[in-house]
Amino acid sequence: MSTVDPLLEFPLDTQPDPDEFLRAALRWHFSPETGSPFWLERAGTLGFDPLTDIGGFADLGRFPNLANELRDVRAEDLIPRGYGDRPDVVGVYESGGTTGAPKRIVLLQEWLDRLLAWSSGQLDRHGVPQGVNWLVVAPTGPHMVGDVIKRQTAYRGGLAFTVDLDPRWVKKLIADGKTAEAGAYAEHIVDQVAFLLQTQDIGVLMCTPPVLERLARRDDLAKLIDEKVKAINWVGTQMDADTRYLYRTEVFPKAHLYSGYGSTMILGNASERPGLTDDDPCVYDPFAPHMVFDVVDPGTRETVAYGERGQVVMHHVSKSLFMPNNLERDYATRVPGPEGVWQIGDSVADIAPVQEFDNETVIEGVY
Amino acid sequence: MDAGLITLDALGPSGPFRARKRMTVTDVAGAPVAELSLVPKLFVTRAMDALRKARTLPAAERTAALARAGRIFAEETVDGLDFEEYQRTVARVSGVPMGVVRAATAAIIEATEVAPVAAYQARPVGAVDDWRAEETRRGSAVWTRKGDVFAVHAAGNHPGPHSLWVEALAMGYRVAVRPSRREPFTPHRLISALRAAGFGTDQVVLLPTDYDAADEILRSADYGLVYGGDEVVRKYEGTRVLPQGPGRSKMLVPAGADWRDHLDTIVDSIAHQGGVACINATTVLVEGDPAPLAQAIAERLATIPSLPPEDEKAVLAVQPAEGARKLEAFLLARAAGTTAHLGGDGIVEELGDGSAVLRPAVHQLDRPDAEQAGIELPFPCVWVAPWSPADGIGPLRNSLVLTAFTDDEALIDELLAEPTISNLYLGDHPTYWIRPGVPHDSYLGEFLMRTKTVIRD
Repeated sequence: MSTVDPLLEFPLDTQPDPDEFLRAALRWHFSPETGSPFWLERAGTLGFDPLTDIGGFADLGRFPNLANELRDVRAEDLIPRGYGDRPDVVGVYESGGTTGAPKRIVLLQEWLDRLLAWSSGQLDRHGVPQGVNWLVVAPTGPHMVGDVIKRQTAYRGGLAFTVDLDPRWVKKLIADGKTAEAGAYAEHIVDQVAFLLQTQDIGVLMCTPPVLERLARRDDLAKLIDEKVKAINWVGTQMDADTRYLYRTEVFPKAHLYSGYGSTMILGNASERPGLTDDDPCVYDPFAPHMVFDVVDPGTRETVAYGERGQVVMHHVSKSLFMPNNLERDYATRVPGPEGVWQIGDSVADIAPVQEFDNETVIEGVY
Repeated sequence: MDAGLITLDALGPSGPFRARKRMTVTDVAGAPVAELSLVPKLFVTRAMDALRKARTLPAAERTAALARAGRIFAEETVDGLDFEEYQRTVARVSGVPMGVVRAATAAIIEATEVAPVAAYQARPVGAVDDWRAEETRRGSAVWTRKGDVFAVHAAGNHPGPHSLWVEALAMGYRVAVRPSRREPFTPHRLISALRAAGFGTDQVVLLPTDYDAADEILRSADYGLVYGGDEVVRKYEGTRVLPQGPGRSKMLVPAGADWRDHLDTIVDSIAHQGGVACINATTVLVEGDPAPLAQAIAERLATIPSLPPEDEKAVLAVQPAEGARKLEAFLLARAAGTTAHLGGDGIVEELGDGSAVLRPAVHQLDRPDAEQAGIELPFPCVWVAPWSPADGIGPLRNSLVLTAFTDDEALIDELLAEPTISNLYLGDHPTYWIRPGVPHDSYLGEFLMRTKTVIRD
């Protein structure tokens, strides 16, 4: 492993030249000794030489979006050979699985260490206390978020209590119009959360907006949250500005409310930019240059102007994974990176699924 | 955001709430008129919770507050609009003619005065309305609420229906209204007035929302009221939500009656209120050849002028031209195969500012059970069909109002016994006849109240 370019393991308090960093990553992923079978097999079909034809992030668009191949590729083929025959694997994880068969990806310990160091810094900037317990109402396997947050809690010196939830099952119920069953499942989650809130010292609550709404509706649980919880981290779906305002001013005024946005395909997540006001859009700054965001016009695939909405494109570049040009299902507003902070690529705001339009038809009757 | 726009806040349990999410309410020409706050589901949940925890005003205070609210509604400046400006705004936005708006708002004011009496018309004769009545010493039924919280998904076609839910307040319900996004002014003004008159902010609320949170309002209430098409009726029939669907009101002219004696009533029933109401006649069934009657109706309706809705002389409703064209295309497609006496080439007359008058249409059907007979559209659109006693009452079913020009007692008995005919008017009474204290579609009290036996020492 003496051949590893130190650029790939740059200390987090330094700022490497992003294009040099990218070229070092491409050398790692496309060299027969260190690259993954997945990329080595595909190198010949690209129509260009990634080692000489890609000068920097501006050229990443030449790579095809191969994310769909992650639905059926052998998971071990995704691990770079440079990690040897005993790679330190945290787990194999799957994407949401709402758009067909799930995509699979491998999380290595080395990347997780970097991710946790970075994301923990973000939590500090949000004022989320260290050394407190987390109540994590989020999917565990096959999804990544549960395991990552458990490790993050340990990293910050607390215990993680988990309540599992199966988003695929919920989506299936809703798609089948079984709203009562979906509601019963959500109440089942809330009942499990209740025991933990009642008996344990919970400092941070992580959950989805629908679960948070149900918790807020139960007077006893809302009171416990108000008494115990210092920070509420909402993830998974969107929350509008008025709802955020109501939580901050009326429902849970003592807790710090902030959100996270992540994707399996970039092996990580970002917390919302600290210091946003109630009227600001919910902005997420990526862990650059490992994660790079772009917002494109869904038709032309051209980058949209700042302030415009478009479809999110994500790149992941690290020693453990190279996954460029992943076109996400989500739409977002393109926002410049934070002032005074080094970042390549865009930030994204107000994530939402594809906008649906009302289809007006004439309905008989006078109403 | 235009500084000249009217601001319509949500009216929640802690007072008015100006949401970040707002929609622009436009008039029939597409010009912005107001900004309506749309509240998220969390706001709805909390407001409904507050309604549930609230107390109910004692009956005497309710009566006084309702009457006060009517006066405030009629006389004071509410949300920056005096009564005249408010009425004009409703006409411009909903397209309902000014004269109809005046009549409908007068009916709302009347409802605030008489609702306590009107609502209790539904009380069974065996029941008293207070356990303190002497009757309970010997044992008596007492008329009581079935629940505490009543939710309304209001309609925007006409201000009139807002006089109905006022009865729920009179019966002691706490009430949440989701306004129509087309015409939110009337419930906003009425609820502002009710709150100024003494109802608590946790006793009556206005919750403008998008579709997602709208269901939450009904889900969190004990009982609900919704307006919509057949689909809405199918969805809610037999549940704790009372659907108000298409009226499909009809008129029957049997052989014993001469339609020439009733032409005024027939034409009025079709076109009164611009034809936008469920109590406008959709179908006229006549024994014998329907052509002369259809022609006579067409000749009368053809003379109605096309005017902007705020004009005092306006009779016909106005809509944005695009929406009007959609209705027109729908009508022309569905009317294929029938005989047009009026409106066969279209019913839209554009006013040149982006709005269009919905002009009347008269079509003749060749049989009483033709599928077109049940097509109710929000303008004077009538289907004239032949009927004979051999057809029976089948073609008369599913009518909110049936006016029958008959004194045939056997027929009347049959019509009154028919469950799908809600109101039966015999003789020269227009289908739109309604007074406080008679049921519009059964008494609301039949849905919201029950009896309990009380006996005491």
